[in-house]
Amino acid sequence: MIMQDYWYIREGFEQRIKEYLALAPVVEVDLEFEVMEKDFNSAGKGSSETKNLLKRLGVESDILRRVAVSAYEAEINMAAHSRGGKMISEVYDDHIHVRFEDIGPGIENIDQAMVPGYSTADELVRELGFGAGLGLPNIKKNCDAMHIRSAKDSPTLLEFIIYFG
Amino acid sequence: MPMNKKDSKYFHAIQIIEENCTGCTACVRVCPTEAIRVRSRMASIDPNRCVDCGNCVSVCEFHAIIPSSDSLESIKRFKYKIAIISSSFFGQFSEDITYANAKQAVLQLGFDEVAEEAMITDFMINIIRQYIRENRDKRPILSSNCPAVVRLIQVKYPSLLANLFHREAPMSILTRYFREKISREQDFEDNEIGIFVIVPCVAHVTAVHQPEGAYKHLQDGAFSSGMIYGKVREIIKNVQNNPMPMDTYPQGLTWALSGVQAELVDTDDIRALSVNGVDNVMDILSRVEDHYLDQYDYIVLRSCTNGCVGGCLNVENPFVAMSRIKKMTKEGKSSEIQLHELEELHAQGEFSVSPLAPRPIMELDKDIKKAIKKMKKINEFLTMLPGLNCSACGSPSCYALAEDIVMGQATIDDCIILRRRCPDSDQD
Repeated sequence: MIMQDYWYIREGFEQRIKEYLALAPVVEVDLEFEVMEKDFNSAGKGSSETKNLLKRLGVESDILRRVAVSAYEAEINMAAHSRGGKMISEVYDDHIHVRFEDIGPGIENIDQAMVPGYSTADELVRELGFGAGLGLPNIKKNCDAMHIRSAKDSPTLLEFIIYFG
Repeated sequence: MPMNKKDSKYFHAIQIIEENCTGCTACVRVCPTEAIRVRSRMASIDPNRCVDCGNCVSVCEFHAIIPSSDSLESIKRFKYKIAIISSSFFGQFSEDITYANAKQAVLQLGFDEVAEEAMITDFMINIIRQYIRENRDKRPILSSNCPAVVRLIQVKYPSLLANLFHREAPMSILTRYFREKISREQDFEDNEIGIFVIVPCVAHVTAVHQPEGAYKHLQDGAFSSGMIYGKVREIIKNVQNNPMPMDTYPQGLTWALSGVQAELVDTDDIRALSVNGVDNVMDILSRVEDHYLDQYDYIVLRSCTNGCVGGCLNVENPFVAMSRIKKMTKEGKSSEIQLHELEELHAQGEFSVSPLAPRPIMELDKDIKKAIKKMKKINEFLTMLPGLNCSACGSPSCYALAEDIVMGQATIDDCIILRRRCPDSDQD
């Protein structure tokens, strides 16, 4: 079993991310959601409520959309590929940090999973209209930083950060 | 007539009759924008949040929330009186009363001329298609005919305002056309011509009294479809015994049905989607915001079930009314109509509306740091509340009560469940 760590940080955000991770401030507002295996009816609830929360805080609409898209893709990924887990949205005054923690079975090759169009989705998932292999690339496109930690037969952690301006 | 609190700039065609209100909270639970609270056993509506969808009017069993509309008497102020009838009206009558009968009866209520929204459905479909093709950078274009949807976008989805179809609705286009035509041909001053619409819902009454984006004076009043229905029924026998020739446009009645309207706009290069019912509309708008519905070029959005046939001022069930309209569309034949004057006015930009402004209600505070502090307090109260969302406190959910407490509009003692669980709090 090889634990893999995949990091992406948008150009220009390196310093902010480094400082934030080093400082590890106490979260002011957070939301937690359960995501169940193959439950595509409920998957999406977490991202939608997260978006509503940010609306209440007055976050501008383009940022809202990027958060909603990233969170939705990650939720669908969790429902499609994992045995379930939870989504935690942590809101700070200048950014949001969303974590997805599942209970396995893990990603065998993260670099491959990041290639647009690559998918390990099974028949059921594809029948439901998901599994086009665009989930992770879409998150990467919309976030300011993204981290995946996983290994075969292990839990996966996927987290991303989006700044409000 | 309006229920407006003094401090609001928004007009609403909904009234609360205080002596009838029992404080039951039925209205609180059906309001899509959480605009209603019951405090001291009395409902009140926040005019900044209300979008005139009419859900509260339909659900109130005590006639405590009633729609306002104009009285037929008001036409007497004018020398030349025109009624414009919305398409859903003709679906209200039993099948022995024809479109022509109903139209003639409306004329005989005291109008000099009667026109119908249905006259220009084809024209509307054409200008919608043209607008979509000229605005390919905005996807999807959202229909703007339903005033409740327009206001919902202003309060909850302001980022989508640019996607709205920025042209007048058919009844307003007809209003422009008749004002111009009558003053030219018949030598009346503008203020001598009274133009009235017969509408299926409170949102349309509100839109007449406080139009969004209108550049010019439009209608002089709005009559409830149900009120006019009653008056028509009183004289219908006489009309049926003395019929006059009437132009009718049954094919245009499809404007009242959101699904059919989408089918009509849909073509080789335009993919259209139809959505009705305010909960579905909100779900779709939320997805449009996230660009998950960019594959559509046009979305027909109607707050009421099946479209305007579901309006709360109508008398017939929306499914029955829809079936009748479909039957008339299939079996009837529309009269010839010349639309080149409308086309000219359209080409001159006469039917444009000004960009619509947001009416944001969502922000807890202008300053994000303060907003986060408030959100944190809301979450703290939320953990204390029972989570039953029973509305017995008068707020629509435990979350809404927590927010009301933080915003200084309620206290934790408003929660009846908590007071029962810890009766001590009653003593202070």
